[in-house]
Amino acid sequence: MSERDVKVQYSVLVILEEKMNEKIVGFSDYIDTLYDIFLSRDASFEILIIANGAEGLLRNELHYIEKCRTQLRTFALSKKVPQAICLTLGLKESAGDIIVVCGPYQQLTNESFIGMLDAFTDDVDIITPCRENRRDPRFNQLQSRIFNGLVRFITKSDIHDLSCNVKAFRRYVLEDVKLYGNMYPFLPILAERRGYKTKEIQCANYQAIGRTGFYSLSEYFTRIIDIFTLYFNTRFARKPLRFFSAVGALFILIGVLIICYLCFQKFFMGYGVGNRPELLISVLFMVFGVQAAGVGLLGEIFVFIQGRHIKGYNIERYVSAEYSGPERRKDIGEYEQAKPVNIRMVDKHNTEERRKYEKH
Amino acid sequence: MPIYVSVVVPLYNEEESVEKLVSEIESVGTSFDFEYEIILVDDGSSDRTWTIIEQLGKQKPYIKGIKFRGNYGQTAAMVAGFDYASGEIIVTMDGDLQNDPADIPMLLEKLEQGYDIVSGWRKDRKDNFARVFPSKIANYIISLTTNVHLHDYGCSLKAYRAECIKPIKPYSEMHRFFPALASMTGARVTEIPVKHHPRKYGTSKYGFERILKVFIDIFSLNLIIRFSSMPLKGFALCSIPFLLLTTLFTTLSVLSVILGWTAGKAPFFLLLAMLSGIAAFHLITLGVIGELIVGSGDLSHTQLPEITKKTLMLGCDDE
Repeated sequence: MSERDVKVQYSVLVILEEKMNEKIVGFSDYIDTLYDIFLSRDASFEILIIANGAEGLLRNELHYIEKCRTQLRTFALSKKVPQAICLTLGLKESAGDIIVVCGPYQQLTNESFIGMLDAFTDDVDIITPCRENRRDPRFNQLQSRIFNGLVRFITKSDIHDLSCNVKAFRRYVLEDVKLYGNMYPFLPILAERRGYKTKEIQCANYQAIGRTGFYSLSEYFTRIIDIFTLYFNTRFARKPLRFFSAVGALFILIGVLIICYLCFQKFFMGYGVGNRPELLISVLFMVFGVQAAGVGLLGEIFVFIQGRHIKGYNIERYVSAEYSGPERRKDIGEYEQAKPVNIRMVDKHNTEERRKYEKH
Repeated sequence: MPIYVSVVVPLYNEEESVEKLVSEIESVGTSFDFEYEIILVDDGSSDRTWTIIEQLGKQKPYIKGIKFRGNYGQTAAMVAGFDYASGEIIVTMDGDLQNDPADIPMLLEKLEQGYDIVSGWRKDRKDNFARVFPSKIANYIISLTTNVHLHDYGCSLKAYRAECIKPIKPYSEMHRFFPALASMTGARVTEIPVKHHPRKYGTSKYGFERILKVFIDIFSLNLIIRFSSMPLKGFALCSIPFLLLTTLFTTLSVLSVILGWTAGKAPFFLLLAMLSGIAAFHLITLGVIGELIVGSGDLSHTQLPEITKKTLMLGCDDE
């Protein structure tokens, strides 16, 4: 069998998220573990390492790892980009039907990892593990609980561990669900809302490496904004006027009530209105209300005019006398040609290369 | 022979009624002297609806079935049906047997008289007062505000010329307002009384919350119909009260200086004048941005339907 006849089942994306310029302890062993898992399953697979913001020694290590192995490609981005871009890159460069996304270290035990792959039955589109007996410090667990609880409360979904860095998707899910910015952690929720079947499985936590204690302030800020974006996107993305007109109506109502109160005092109790701060406040409220509603209307016009190509539905199957089957039949795993073997960003900091270049 | 009529039926947990509905449509279809198709859209049912649709679709060449991954609502189901429909005329109807397919020929006949949209009117409605009353109010408001006078926007049995409804690409919960939306392009809308049967199977999928949402939708819809092609006008209208306020407060401020009112009044009025002035300016800015959005958009939904144009020029046609 020639190489291009092999249909890749699994594409494993190992995403190195933090900006790192040193060797990662045990990284090479981790990659070996992944090899062992997939070799023992007798499955065709490929591994893509995407280093988001890799410099110095890490680049060398990745280079070495790639040299020593087959079925493995590395992509070192010298500048840190949003997660969604890494994932889109991985999606474009990989060919597997099932895409397993992993973090920079082994978070699940081997058994759990295998269990996760086994749980991928035909009716499942996404698997998200939920870590049991977590190894990270209590305080981190608490923060993660609060975050997940908040997301569950807002989206009414039933996923308990979004922060786990391992997740598995069918290719068409990633191709269909639009991802941008920091929305990657919420991908299972977004996909669920598009109608894909998500399954949560209990997994054992193997190890926890990374920052402990408090994160930086900007990290918390980003998270809060992300949750709000998620809330707005899942509820009002196609009807912004509903959201903004509710806000606007509330403020206009407050403004009107204050004015009524002032008028009542003026006409029945004889107080002046001329220089009272309440008047100013009520006008402020009404101005704000009208502006909120105005922004909503603008949003609605935008959606109506520019969002016309967005499909409000997602078709699973189509049946007629000539054809019966999944709607996206062309997209599912029919990648005949092998993808380009290796694409690597040019290393601008590599002084040796630069010297050679300058000599020429 | 190309397909002339596509019947689009959104279905949500209607396993009891699918087969009966299809056979009813078929019995009407035998009298047609043209080709037709039935598009059954399963809106994420949890019962056997899809299994039945799949069987029907494989057996009968004129049936197409679409299964959604989740429940996306009636509007989305109808839009999907429109996207897959190949007929020149699209007929929509409820999947719960409340509409009678026997009325379809009547709708088609009305279309042939030169209308673009014919809406059913459940004149003799078999629902209780609590359902009918809010719906009557809603119909009255929609008719009054959009100037498309129909007695029954809520009736699903409607017939459209495909070119009038396909470019609109509705979203959210707009299916009730299709005639009003389509009238934006100059489509001619009419209605005829149709039969209505009480619900036999399943439970009604309406509630009080729905009524509230419908009213918000009416509000949004009116804004869209009026201002989506001329946002600056809409926003300028909104800014008029604020401009008036600005004038009023500026005058008061000037007067208070001239007439020597209590100290502090002049700056206070000036503050109010500036505040409302900023609001007016902000609204007009939004209107300008709105114009940019509309100008750079795809405006296929604002074009006059071809058939309407043809029938308008019927005098010089040899038909």
